[in-house]
Amino acid sequence: MKSKTIATKGLMYLIMALIVVVCLFPVLWMCIISFKTVGESISGYNALRVEVPTLANYERLFQLIPLAQNLYNSLFTTVLGTITTLFFCALAGFAFAKYRFPARNALFLFVIATMMITPEVGSIPLFIIMRKIGMINSLWSLIIPRIATAVGIFYMRQYIMEVPDEIVEAARIDGCHEFGIFWRVVMPIIKPALASWASLTVIARWNDFFWPLLFLRKSSMYTLMVSVSMLPTSDGLSTPWQVVLAGTTLVIVPSIILYLIMQLFQKEGLTAGAVKG
Amino acid sequence: MVKTLKKYKWPYLFICPYFILFLCFQLVPTVWTGVISFAEWDGLRQLKWVGLSNYAMMLKDYMFVDALRNTALYWVATAVGVLLCSMLIANMLHSKKLGAKRFFKTVTFLPYVCASVAMGLIFKMLFEENAGLINEIILSLGGQRIPWLTSSRWDRIPVIILHVWRLTPWYTLIVLSGLLNISPEYYEAATVDGANAFQQFFSITLPMLGNILFFCFVTVTVDSWKIFNESYVLAGPGSSNMSLFQLLYTSAFSTFKMGYASALGVVLILILLLISVVQFMVRRKQGEI
Repeated sequence: MKSKTIATKGLMYLIMALIVVVCLFPVLWMCIISFKTVGESISGYNALRVEVPTLANYERLFQLIPLAQNLYNSLFTTVLGTITTLFFCALAGFAFAKYRFPARNALFLFVIATMMITPEVGSIPLFIIMRKIGMINSLWSLIIPRIATAVGIFYMRQYIMEVPDEIVEAARIDGCHEFGIFWRVVMPIIKPALASWASLTVIARWNDFFWPLLFLRKSSMYTLMVSVSMLPTSDGLSTPWQVVLAGTTLVIVPSIILYLIMQLFQKEGLTAGAVKG
Repeated sequence: MVKTLKKYKWPYLFICPYFILFLCFQLVPTVWTGVISFAEWDGLRQLKWVGLSNYAMMLKDYMFVDALRNTALYWVATAVGVLLCSMLIANMLHSKKLGAKRFFKTVTFLPYVCASVAMGLIFKMLFEENAGLINEIILSLGGQRIPWLTSSRWDRIPVIILHVWRLTPWYTLIVLSGLLNISPEYYEAATVDGANAFQQFFSITLPMLGNILFFCFVTVTVDSWKIFNESYVLAGPGSSNMSLFQLLYTSAFSTFKMGYASALGVVLILILLLISVVQFMVRRKQGEI
């Protein structure tokens, strides 16, 4: 019996180690290659040996794509998109959680039902709408349609429901304005939820590809993700893999760092409470 | 009506941004897609009504048939792969026998953080026929080089692997939260009764996870039918591993057949609706909803 337990335990660690390798290897491998000179072999196992580490691939990126501009575009849409969506999702979640009003449950069910419709299906009319209102090649086209999302409202409502009603009532009796209750009473309490939803949103927006590909139609307006996706063909037809992987490193490493920081600072980690009932 | 609105103006005001945005950027475009699907349109000139001919064209279009087959394959393979992997990882993370849980949890979630487009480029290099590491490993195990991305026979496999790789962490998290909700008393009772780990898994864990797994399956279904990034970056020869949604995009914005592309959009909506209706009916029959 004893030896059997040890055997299962060993097997478990072995499988887990394998999974860890599968999770980490592609990313590590990419980082390694991005520091290799273009002349070095990157085929097969050779890829893992770096003889002369170099930053030349990263410098080359600046010549191939408007890197600084693309980075700014990505940051702008990610930061502004996250802040606005946090605010409006929390606001709607607050209304659904702490007010009684006619048709509340029906409206909330409706919000949940809309999660099943994927907005991508309407991308053709959406493109035409954006063209009509002059938002093609504008970063706002990525921010405005997603200022409030169904998933975000659902998540915030679940969390705000746990705020005791007495706190809201007490603030109202003290003469606090309805918006003041939200801004000065509820928002500070739900900070942990805001933080974890913020990091999930930041990662999702940073990684966003389809919408920027659709709405941004010139290279100076591209987000980093779109520019990087075009790297293989941006230097003639054969950009060296070292340079392409330097680009993907620039895209992936920041989100990993952000994720690790969130994991360290939050007691429950980034994904705590992300999936509640 | 006006009185109600006035009385409850704050909550209505707080929720109205979502409904306005939903109307403008989701409902109107979706309905509009349905309308355009009955017309021939290049996006600039006047619409020309053509009835059902866009739909008739689909049946004769080998690209559509291919895309439909590919997407269905992506769906089935991703659902099976993601559910199996996430069950395995979540159960291990939940087990008392495993230590260093925080480390393992952090690392196994990492793939979800990585952008699918960037990962696609990395997989493209890993699966490269002559220089890729995957083929090198296969060679050293005594196999033959496989033309992963240059033959229409193999080019769907990297797409599936990438999709499963990136989605598994998210579903692991959901399954894990389900496992944490199962009361340990069930397992204690089962242990007392002499049930082994396998029996416990099949008679406690699996039935108790029923709803969670169902939820996962529905979301994986939606995720897979709108797959775009993975097959866009890992494109095989011609349109051989193209997804339905990718075909919609190319028809609309490369060849400017907006009507045809809209008809594809309608088919996509109908497929998603059909799948969710069937799923709910099956569940209802089993008396689980």
